[in-house]
Amino acid sequence: MVQVVFDKVRKAFGDTVTIPGLDLVIESGEFVSLLGPSGCGKSTTLRMLAGLEQPSGGRISIGGRDVANLPPAERDIAMVFQSYALYPHMTVAENIRYPLRKRGVPKPEQATRLAEVAALLQLEPLLDRKPRQLSGGQQQRVALGRALVRDPSVFLLDEPLSNLDAALRAHMRAELIELHRRLGKTMVYVTHDQLEAMTMSTRIAVMKDGVLQQFAPPAEIYDRPANRFVAGFIGTPSMALAEATLLRDGGGARLQIGAMMIDLPGRHAAAAPCAVTVGIRPEDIVVGQGPWQALVRLVEPTGHETIVALEAGDLALTARIPGGPRLHAGETVAFDVNRARLHLFAADDGHRLALDITDTTPPRSA
Amino acid sequence: MTNRQRPALIASLVTWPLVLLIAFPLLWMLLTSVKPQAELFTTPPDFLPNAITFEHYRRVLEETAFLQYFRNSLVVAVSTTVLVVVVAVLGAYSLVRFAYRGRELLASLVLFTYLLPSVVLISPLYLMLVKLGLANTLASLVAAYTSFALPYALWLLRSFMAGIPEDLEAAAMVDGASRMGAFVDVVLPQALPGIISTALFSFILAWNEYLYALVLVNSDEARPLTTGVMTMLISAFNIEWSLLMAASVMMSVPLIVIFAFFQKYLTSGFGAGGVKG
Repeated sequence: MVQVVFDKVRKAFGDTVTIPGLDLVIESGEFVSLLGPSGCGKSTTLRMLAGLEQPSGGRISIGGRDVANLPPAERDIAMVFQSYALYPHMTVAENIRYPLRKRGVPKPEQATRLAEVAALLQLEPLLDRKPRQLSGGQQQRVALGRALVRDPSVFLLDEPLSNLDAALRAHMRAELIELHRRLGKTMVYVTHDQLEAMTMSTRIAVMKDGVLQQFAPPAEIYDRPANRFVAGFIGTPSMALAEATLLRDGGGARLQIGAMMIDLPGRHAAAAPCAVTVGIRPEDIVVGQGPWQALVRLVEPTGHETIVALEAGDLALTARIPGGPRLHAGETVAFDVNRARLHLFAADDGHRLALDITDTTPPRSA
Repeated sequence: MTNRQRPALIASLVTWPLVLLIAFPLLWMLLTSVKPQAELFTTPPDFLPNAITFEHYRRVLEETAFLQYFRNSLVVAVSTTVLVVVVAVLGAYSLVRFAYRGRELLASLVLFTYLLPSVVLISPLYLMLVKLGLANTLASLVAAYTSFALPYALWLLRSFMAGIPEDLEAAAMVDGASRMGAFVDVVLPQALPGIISTALFSFILAWNEYLYALVLVNSDEARPLTTGVMTMLISAFNIEWSLLMAASVMMSVPLIVIFAFFQKYLTSGFGAGGVKG
């Protein structure tokens, strides 16, 4: 069992603190994505786990073993780099065999393992080539092969798909999911692409400014974002966020967004009235019927659905409606929101408010 | 003539006279070294020798200290090259990879020493070497040449190493290499063209240097070829032209051999240095 634990891990470069204190427990066999905008500390976190950066404080353990004083070579990890980092002067076969050679694996076993990995990743015809003679996708597979050949206890992947074109990226995403399912190994995956994180991970660690924002399975991150940052960061197009006031209404609660008044039946607003941020996902807006009117600003058909930018007074909303475009920019439409799926965040620090109604929702229609 | 051929023709018109201009003295040296003494001063001069003799080569090798000088030059040039390459490779790696206080200042100061005319340094260097008890030794020449070659070598290798992605070393370390192992397995092969250029530069500098050899060394035991050949064949009254040319030909041979051998590394290397895998 290979559990990866970050215990109050801190990283500072000189006076600049990039990670003030990270607590994260990755269970054995998980596929965990570290997700966040650039500069959020996700790559630094991965490099500390790899032993390429030293933490300024705290403790990292892999499989119960404190790795603080272990060089990368002794941590029993393999890593795939964004640049692939293939050794340019070695052939594909030599690249893949390198980790075995460095660990003194006997020659015949090296050959067997190389053959296995080459078959798995369809690299057989390329074994005698140098990296510069390969396409980006082929280089990526070689980098993966070099990581797979040794059967390490943890795989680290640093944005491994970001240099591939869109079609190849989708293909490799599927391959990686399949690979993880088959190997059952712990994988830590750094990405800034939420689609990769959402599709591949068992859990996602969303980071911002070196601070862990939420660590949860993809569905929970999407359905119950822990704070305003996660709410706005996850989802394309992103959730509309608006300032609102929460009011008490008899036994229930009401939400006032500008001139709009939304009843929240059966909810209790203990601290009302208070200022909140309300979040509405594009698929939770119903266009064509409802109590409110909005101006259609922009219509973006994507084929199977249409993204519509709406303006209701000061409130800017994005709606996602299935099928081709039925609306035109400039027209006024009626709309409604799915009350059960509104997200409320504290206006001051942005944390998710307990007065939460997503639990009772029917499954998403999209 | 098509437009496409014109640039090639112009290039040929410019380069060929240049090549001839540079090659002629070398050719003349070769021809003179195999002409009998009697043919040297005929007017008008004969371009090709009427008779070919290797007498001058025999005399240089048997009757003079040429071989001693040759050995000295070889020892000095090889030692300088090895010393410069080892120190510059490690130094350049440190300047590129490790962050420490004053790193940029150090790099600039090193370059600054290269900007000083070497003549300025002769007297202080001579006095220092005398105090160290190294006067009149091959070691004094190695020390002096290393001090000239090192700054340039350091900068050349530094730019080479800066082009080697750090990820390559990180990958090697994750794959099971120590830092030193990653350096040997990944950095050195990538820096090889730079290392070869540096080695050639140092070797040529040490092999051809004259001024310092003249000042620092004045015994036959430690005299290199440049000053040795001059002192034995040129006197106030007489210049042994035939012997001088024969000695010069033999002096040039090692450089020509080395260049012929390393040329492909130089040309293939500069294009391919440290490109992302």
